[in-house]
Amino acid sequence: MGCSLAARLVALQKELKRKHNPDFLFIEPSEMVVTQELRDVMAMGRRDITYEIGPLITLVNGPKFDSQWQNRSFLMIGQMKDADLVLLSRSDLMDACGIHALEQKLMDYVRSLLPLSVPCNRGVKEVVMAVLG
Amino acid sequence: MKIIAISGMRGSGKTTLIRELIARSVAAGQTCALIVNEDGEASYDTDFLQRHGVAAEFLRGG
Repeated sequence: MGCSLAARLVALQKELKRKHNPDFLFIEPSEMVVTQELRDVMAMGRRDITYEIGPLITLVNGPKFDSQWQNRSFLMIGQMKDADLVLLSRSDLMDACGIHALEQKLMDYVRSLLPLSVPCNRGVKEVVMAVLG
Repeated sequence: MKIIAISGMRGSGKTTLIRELIARSVAAGQTCALIVNEDGEASYDTDFLQRHGVAAEFLRGG
């Protein structure tokens, strides 16, 4: 994340807090951002205002994992390894063997991999608990 | 205010998950805001944002 973009993100966090003070501020970053970098940028605004950070969640596209991993494994590792929660998205499009194989492949990078499917309501309850408490 | 980040490659379902979390939060009586740093505006239609009272900001570049 470039300096100007990071500064703009921090400024927006502060602006939204001051103007609206929402219970939750959701951030959807660019796919090029790794988790630790994002966490560091998110924390910068705490010099001026108070807010809680986290969880930082990373989604891994289950059905497209192999093709993405082939080209962008370093980026994907950077997104997964510092995340509070890693979710295997679109898991309804995978079978149990495929999910197990992915879990084995990623066990060096993630503590746990929670299968998620929003349309099938799979894993959503767990995410809601982690996010909304 | 609690800040929650949802990361992932394009097409991983970030927008879908955030929309679901916003809908559930608002249904539970809580307020939400959103910062998007991607070409995802089309997925956050004005109707959805207004209906859920979401203040949204969009960042270009990454």
